[in-house]
Amino acid sequence: MSYPPGVRATARRELSRMAAQPIYPLLLVVLPLLAFAVLWAIFSSAVPRDLPVAVLDRDHSALSRQLLRLIDASPTMKVALSVASQAEGERLVRQGKVYALVTIPDEFERAIRRGESAPVVCHYNAQLLLPASLIRRDLRGVVGTFSAGIELRRRQGGGTPLVVAMAQMAPVRMDRHTLFNPELSYLVYLLPALLPTVLQVFILVLAVQALGCELKEGSAAQWLATAGGSVRKAVIGKLLPATVHFCLMGLAMLVILFQSLAVPLRGSLTAIIVGTLLFVLAVEAVGIALVAWLANLRFATSAAAFLAGPALAFSGITFPVAAMPLPAQAWGALIPLTHFLRVLVDQAMRGAPVAVSAVPLAALATFVLVLPAVSFSRLRRVATDERFWGRL
Amino acid sequence: MRGFWAALTGELRAVRNDRGALLVLVGAVLLYAFFYPLPYLPEVLKEVPVAVVDADHSALSRQLLRMANAHELVAVRFHVTSLAEAEALVRAGRAGGILFIPNGFERSVRRGESAGVGVYTDAAYFLVHRQGLTGLAEAVATLSAGVELRRLRAAGLSDAQARAARDPAPLLLRPLFNPAEGYASYIVPAVLVLILQQTLLIGIGLLAGTARERGGAGMSVSPLAWTLGRATFYLGLYGLHTLVYFSVVVRVFDVPNRGRPGALAAFALPFLLAVIFLGLATSHLFRRRETAIQGLLVTSLPAVFLAGFSWPPEALPRWLRWGSCLLPSTLGTAGFLRLDQMGATLGEVRGEWLGLWGLAAGYFLLAWLLARRRGGGKPALPPGGLEDSQ
Repeated sequence: MSYPPGVRATARRELSRMAAQPIYPLLLVVLPLLAFAVLWAIFSSAVPRDLPVAVLDRDHSALSRQLLRLIDASPTMKVALSVASQAEGERLVRQGKVYALVTIPDEFERAIRRGESAPVVCHYNAQLLLPASLIRRDLRGVVGTFSAGIELRRRQGGGTPLVVAMAQMAPVRMDRHTLFNPELSYLVYLLPALLPTVLQVFILVLAVQALGCELKEGSAAQWLATAGGSVRKAVIGKLLPATVHFCLMGLAMLVILFQSLAVPLRGSLTAIIVGTLLFVLAVEAVGIALVAWLANLRFATSAAAFLAGPALAFSGITFPVAAMPLPAQAWGALIPLTHFLRVLVDQAMRGAPVAVSAVPLAALATFVLVLPAVSFSRLRRVATDERFWGRL
Repeated sequence: MRGFWAALTGELRAVRNDRGALLVLVGAVLLYAFFYPLPYLPEVLKEVPVAVVDADHSALSRQLLRMANAHELVAVRFHVTSLAEAEALVRAGRAGGILFIPNGFERSVRRGESAGVGVYTDAAYFLVHRQGLTGLAEAVATLSAGVELRRLRAAGLSDAQARAARDPAPLLLRPLFNPAEGYASYIVPAVLVLILQQTLLIGIGLLAGTARERGGAGMSVSPLAWTLGRATFYLGLYGLHTLVYFSVVVRVFDVPNRGRPGALAAFALPFLLAVIFLGLATSHLFRRRETAIQGLLVTSLPAVFLAGFSWPPEALPRWLRWGSCLLPSTLGTAGFLRLDQMGATLGEVRGEWLGLWGLAAGYFLLAWLLARRRGGGKPALPPGGLEDSQ
């Protein structure tokens, strides 16, 4: 069945080209899903538990053993090794066998019984920030509770009633509320950022591949002819199959996030769906611009890699955008992922009003409207000038 | 031996005459090293914007607000009258935390009752949550300790006695290796190792794909010479890159570096060999020039989180923890971080070092066998050079 020149004929031509190359099922389906699965598996435990720590007990008293039992019983830490010296403990940290060394001083129990204070020291590996912060937080909790327990017994021993003693010990209490992700699950925090990052890689690479291979293989003139000579129709028809595919995959990603991974959905699902579709189109628009202006498949693919590879670092998920140096903020703003993740986090996690997402949604729409508009005439020149064909 | 030199110089010529390969194997290696750390240059996130609700309007509540504002990790940016308003600011992404001081706060403290203040943090972004919570919690703890110490001293205790009485077992936290807990110091050294690996894998795959597209005209070389000759070329090039990374880049970004040059070199050798032979083995998969970038680009993200420096290996499923060791970056990152940032000796990274030698040997065998199956190799370029080089 043949169509008159135009979008449909170009889309049909693209489908038959895709069917002829074994790389397409790999890039469209197998690798993205594999990457999704591996990232899911990496964070499947959601919160790290039982991180190994070493202990140096210089006291060997009932009280020091009690504290060590409490540390071992904490969710984050596991007393993996007991050492006889500070040097031995620090060596274990350097060997990567433990994340921290907890030292209980000698005379610990006796000093505390005498009403003095005896500090517990924790040397922790601050090069590895994530375990460091978890261990610091849990150890503060464990040692703080332990210390408060001693103070409470002392005060009660002095005849103060329990309620009064508790109030005296903590004149100002802090009631802690963790908003949006109370379990502090890394699965819920990171997967909504990582899956779109993976998706962006494949959308961009596929868009560049689809357009760029016409130049590489010198078939650009025939491609334009199939579309009846219109660059706009040629590009739309060419990218139509991949666009439909990635829009569906984007929606599947939302199902994975909200259904399978139980990421909260507190705001507008409509805004998120619109954002997802705009995200796919915006990334393709970047691909169109790269091929048009670099006019070379491999060079455009390298540029796509440069853009999409470190995109997560500039998106503000791990380190907030507002705290980045200006050039990093500017670079991040040039990547569709940054804006899409803002929509996703604001609408899904925080349940922000839709108005909050207007700016990032408008930014995505700007990519879609502006980049093709400034690239089409250049693309026509590149596609019709044989000097741009067959280049590597 | 002649085959070895032919393979080595053939690869050198191929890289030199190929703008795309140069871009990956030289350009990207240097560009990424200075570009990737950019977002993290401030090192520590400070002054997380906080909204406060002071329903007490007392001297004590104002003192708490001053203490919060004085803490370097938080900055009081909004004064609002209800918790709902404050929560709206967090939901809109304008505030990262809330400090709520209820009505009757000072009166409760004066009466010796325990008075609670509410601390709310935005856990949609973990770093904002962590810094905001630390800042606000420390402000509250400081205020509480001050009140308790005053009372204990009023009851006749000396300063030291009062401190011992209110916290019999204080916790002293001593950060090792990265004392400021800087973000760039944490990310940069690990990412450098990953850049070395990923650019090498992509670059080798790209040249192999090009050679196969061209059908590989020119003389044949024995598979062994072909594998070793090319590997030696990449070892030289990336040995140089590694030197630049560990002598220049870490200093430019002021990352802690305590590594002994000899130990670093001794560790870099099996790491680079493992990556190179892995690259030579996987390059047999790529029939086209772009496929290497397309196929390998997506491996970067999992490789980062499998490398152990951000997500602890103990938290990985067992199969993945073992499987991740097949990537040279996993053992490589662990070893380089400990050698250079933590000042470990080569003996203290022996497990990783031996593991990388094992990987290098295994991937060498694989690369060699695959080259043999394809009936020997051909230099990536005919001696005449690149006919359509730009």
